[in-house]
Amino acid sequence: MTNPDRALSRRRFLKTLGAGSSAMGLAGIWGSPDAMPQEPAALRSVPDFTGPSANPYWNSVGPIITEPQKAPLILMADRPVQLETPRHYFLSAFTPNEAFYVRWHLQTLPNSVDLKEWCLHVEGNVGNPLTLNLPDLLERFKAVSIAAVNQCSGNSRSRLQPRVPGAQWGNGAMGNALWTGVKLREILDAAKLKSGSLQVQFEGLDRGKGPEGYGSNRFMKSLDLNDPVLEECIVAHSMNGEPLPMLNGFPVRLVVPGNFATYWVKCLSWIRILDKPDDNFWMKTAYRVPDTPGGSTTPEEVNAGRIKTIPIAKMPVRSFLISPDGSGKIPAGLPLQLRGIAFSGHGRVKKVEVSADEGANWLDAHLGEDLGPYSFRTWELPWTPKRPGKYELAVRATDEKGHAQPDQAIWNPGGYLWNRIERQKITIGSAA
Amino acid sequence: MKEGGASSRKRFALSCVLCVLLASTALYAEFDAGFYAPERGGSIRQTLPPAAGSGASYEVGAYPLYPANLAPGDGQSEVASYCNTCHSPRYITMQPVLPAAVWTAEVNKMVKSYGASIPEDATQKIIRYLQSHYTPETRKK
Repeated sequence: MTNPDRALSRRRFLKTLGAGSSAMGLAGIWGSPDAMPQEPAALRSVPDFTGPSANPYWNSVGPIITEPQKAPLILMADRPVQLETPRHYFLSAFTPNEAFYVRWHLQTLPNSVDLKEWCLHVEGNVGNPLTLNLPDLLERFKAVSIAAVNQCSGNSRSRLQPRVPGAQWGNGAMGNALWTGVKLREILDAAKLKSGSLQVQFEGLDRGKGPEGYGSNRFMKSLDLNDPVLEECIVAHSMNGEPLPMLNGFPVRLVVPGNFATYWVKCLSWIRILDKPDDNFWMKTAYRVPDTPGGSTTPEEVNAGRIKTIPIAKMPVRSFLISPDGSGKIPAGLPLQLRGIAFSGHGRVKKVEVSADEGANWLDAHLGEDLGPYSFRTWELPWTPKRPGKYELAVRATDEKGHAQPDQAIWNPGGYLWNRIERQKITIGSAA
Repeated sequence: MKEGGASSRKRFALSCVLCVLLASTALYAEFDAGFYAPERGGSIRQTLPPAAGSGASYEVGAYPLYPANLAPGDGQSEVASYCNTCHSPRYITMQPVLPAAVWTAEVNKMVKSYGASIPEDATQKIIRYLQSHYTPETRKK
């Protein structure tokens, strides 16, 4: 370990030598206090926790760690595994598999799958129950691809005021991939749904240590059979043209374009057709949002028991400034590209605007390639800061249904649906 | 002549020493300017790529544990034995500071909604422990 005190005095010594004049003589070695350098940034780290105010950082504050098949990511929890993607990975429209965030609910996750044994069961209220192995999925059905954003319902939970318990994500519990697989509809058709079918339930290979009948034992999610999203769903065996990392759901996971990730069941192994509504914990109790505009409420309303809740579903429109990230000072007059991404669970992003003057004026950013209605869309905007000073850049997106990002904070007890306009402080220095 | 030679050798030796001193100072200063301190940069070791076996079994290594440092205190062993059943203590240390009433609600949620079988006295001890170390007033690290 480097002793910072020694390092500092060494630097001070060298600084004085560098000032270099023999005229200063030895007395200069003990220099004046203003020669004391700042502690180098590399020696400082973000705090171990934040609160009671909002987490001020773009990402969460966990340590950077490694997991199998993953690039170093930000640790939320090691068991069940929860990992956040660092900000810089969002400069591109597709998030690399090895950097894709991870969120599990139950602690016994597969780290080994034997494809000789594994199969996808389609059962319940069907006339033709199926067991499909990977070759069945590859050969009996047509492969389709869709670019779609997977975002945790609690992404940005650490922004809420007052803070709520749960995984304290910054903004990195999201990712975009090109998912390839089989249309869910084709699988359902092959299983021949019987009349009276209401919902389709999904379950993966993860299991918990809690007692049977509780959410701590099994994780299951359901969609209504009349939900239009079913026509978009695919059972994906590829992610960005590669097998899924085990932590992202190898061998197949459900893709529900536009919906929050809670429905995108990993290591999908059971599809069950239900003839009554799913009342398991993960539908009836968890992942529910207030049935209010924007899903927002107050602690008082919740405590008074006045809030009706509904299962979370579509992702509201969001946009992010990825670069510059505020980590360095930028000289005035230097032309920059502001760059970022935007997306909406309701369809294509039509407009991204940036303000550098606290929302007085908004400039239209140039949108990148349109990769489909559920994909990240990159954006950029040339910007030359003229004068030194502190700037706050704000970015907002509007989707094709006319939803624009609000500038009000929302609050709900689950810490879901955050989509407030993002802001980034940038320091512009003198160029000479 | 002899004296002159000695003093010029002396001057030569002195300037040599000075040159070496200056050069090494410059080199050292150059090195120091970057301030390399790998041990403090949060470096992590690379993981060994797994050896892929043949056949239809697909394996990755064990998912590593990254132990969290729970605040020492009364109730810590109850947290370690009961909470640990379903999740690692990181679930506690990753939380923001939360008011005492929120911790009570969280522990009760684990028992009622998630079915954690924790004896009543241990439940109360866990609540007191979390309130003693993880509220805005009490959390140290």
